[in-house]
Amino acid sequence: MSGKKEITISPATRIEGHGKVTIILDEQGNVSNAYFYATEIRGFDYFLLGMEAERLPFIVSRICGVCSTAHIMASVKAIESIFETEITETARKLRELLLMGQIINNHSLVFFFLTLPDFWFSQEEDPNRRNVFQIMREKPDVGKKAITLRSFGAQIADVIGKREVHIVSVIPGGLINPLRDRERQELLQKAEEAGTIAKEALDLGKELFDKNWEDFRKAGDYRTNYMALTKGEALEFYDGTISVLDAEGKPLSRFEAKDFMEHVEERKLEWTYAKFASLAGLKWPEGIVQVGPTARMNVSAKAPTNQAEQELKEFKKRFGNPAHATLLFDYARMIDLLYACERAKELLTDENLTRTDTRVKVKPKAGRGVGVVEAPRGTLAHEYELTRAGHLKSMKLIIPTQVNNAAINLNVKDAAMEFIHRGDIRPGLLNRVEMVIRAYDPCIKCATRQANAAIAIEIRNSQGELLRTLG
Amino acid sequence: MKVSIISLTCCAGCVSSFLNAGEALLDVLSEEFEVVYSPTFVDLKEIPQVDLAIVEGGVRTETDEKLIREVRAKSRTLVALGICATHGGVTSLGNLTSVKKLLEKEYSLLDSSTLPELTDLMYPICNFVDVDYYVPGCPPMPLLIIHTLKSIINARPPQRHTSVVCIECKRKIVPKKLDRLYGIYEKESDPELCLVSQGFVCLGSVTRDGCGAPCPRAGFTCFGCRGPADSLLYRERDLYSFLVKIISARTGIQEDTVKEELHRNPFVFHTFVFSKFERSKARERVI
Repeated sequence: MSGKKEITISPATRIEGHGKVTIILDEQGNVSNAYFYATEIRGFDYFLLGMEAERLPFIVSRICGVCSTAHIMASVKAIESIFETEITETARKLRELLLMGQIINNHSLVFFFLTLPDFWFSQEEDPNRRNVFQIMREKPDVGKKAITLRSFGAQIADVIGKREVHIVSVIPGGLINPLRDRERQELLQKAEEAGTIAKEALDLGKELFDKNWEDFRKAGDYRTNYMALTKGEALEFYDGTISVLDAEGKPLSRFEAKDFMEHVEERKLEWTYAKFASLAGLKWPEGIVQVGPTARMNVSAKAPTNQAEQELKEFKKRFGNPAHATLLFDYARMIDLLYACERAKELLTDENLTRTDTRVKVKPKAGRGVGVVEAPRGTLAHEYELTRAGHLKSMKLIIPTQVNNAAINLNVKDAAMEFIHRGDIRPGLLNRVEMVIRAYDPCIKCATRQANAAIAIEIRNSQGELLRTLG
Repeated sequence: MKVSIISLTCCAGCVSSFLNAGEALLDVLSEEFEVVYSPTFVDLKEIPQVDLAIVEGGVRTETDEKLIREVRAKSRTLVALGICATHGGVTSLGNLTSVKKLLEKEYSLLDSSTLPELTDLMYPICNFVDVDYYVPGCPPMPLLIIHTLKSIINARPPQRHTSVVCIECKRKIVPKKLDRLYGIYEKESDPELCLVSQGFVCLGSVTRDGCGAPCPRAGFTCFGCRGPADSLLYRERDLYSFLVKIISARTGIQEDTVKEELHRNPFVFHTFVFSKFERSKARERVI
């Protein structure tokens, strides 16, 4: 093989949003660089300027239909922080439950529909068969379980949020509607079944993961900092403190949601519509930080529910703290999922959940405020500045996929170097590169709400010639 | 039946909604319904010839435009799923400002060889291709999607919803005398009474039914995500005045004051953006 070559995978498949990957090969056919692109843009940050605060939550929800509940939570929290609103304990519990529904709905989709086919079939499987629909044809009960688990998350959104996607009940000040006891009991019943399926899914995930682990332990193990919300050192999604761990596992910083923007900064690079976010005050690349399932496991000393705590301990024992290899996102995601089911059940057991004090009156005022939650893909922050008339003056959103953007790119390159040698780019090898991207469950919709993003893989030679496009 | 699922510029909420249909989804998947192309679920990288293409999202980049033309050419039946595909959706709010200009300034460093050019506006797909069925909604409810798909699978015309959201909302319409309109967070709503009668700007009276009215039933104003009802589709220019009249009649507030409030509400936009929607037989194709 002579000359540099370039391989494109376009579209990168089984991810949410449009993606594209370019891998550049040197004269020997070895990887010299690789990029993961976002190629959409929508302009939320611009057209929302001047918008009335009360319309913000349900419009920002449209940034992402996959994790809309998380966006609404961050949005109302930011507004409540400006208005200095203290919501009731009932509202806080219902919101946490909605967020658990969000995690269950998303993670069951990612596991069964997006990543499972990679583990279920061999890497050399016909790509036209390597998908969830084929699994459903072969094992209908797996399909049924996938749907049952995902539906439980959707039902939480529907019953409490009043819609399955883009919920409407959560507003600044709390929730419009209380939960009825009949509804609570129905959901509680379903929580039992969901918990069982989540545990089975985790066991299946671990078993299949073990078969692939040797192949992937060194693929994409770039060492970075990790960030997640915690409550008293434990795993937490709705409120708490933001904790950052360095690549050695030492605590780097701990701060309140209101100070988030002082600790995280954004930068743009010329080849992608998605911005990069990193820790402020640290040089690039020292400031690169990862969020999401693995970060949550790394940063949390414990999990507040029994089964998740056992799994977390096992995870730390087996992979060290912090764990670095990208594929561990797939593993850690299943612990998130189990926790969300356990926690949902715990919340639903509480009879106080049906109290009617779900809403307090808000007193609009001018100012700046930040709302932070753990979204399925990691720490999500919305910062708004409102005028006295209650209109949006400025807005800054830090989205998990943006935070992970740097690590995704570094790890895609790392994985490409691990799997591609001497110009051998059989589809099975390229799919392994895509698996590293899938592990992040990147959400291009979220990362590029300003632009319209797509992600694709190209492999080019060192003169930039296109060698192969996975597209 | 070979099926492709395509996402253009959107939030992916419509396909998400489809996947929330629970057992009804298993029903559809177990029928003659083979998803052969879908970047979200399937690894095939080239767009194949299919019997049915389900398209979510609208056109915001040249890539979107190229894609939708290719998809149309390779599909027997094409369904526009959700408000972005049928009307342009939330991203169309960018049509009110010079988003394209702002973005070009902000991203002026961008390497145009690797990134697609933006179109001048956000467009619904019917501006570029012929659409067989429009299923508006943000997103459409899971069962509405399922019923539509099942009809198409069985070669029957899908059941259409032609009336307004008020039909599905149980609230009582009572004319009131109010001094002003209210934002949804300003006061708690009476659970029995029509939201418009309470001074909230609910668009249920002009918006197509078929969603089950989840928003107004929950005390949240309808924001028109199903687009205009049949009766209003051909009176596009009158739609705005019609809405003003209804709100004024139910609240006793002067029409001019109502107009002012509507101007401040960009979500009215959903209802009014129908660009070339009324052409040909579009009306018979809205589900």
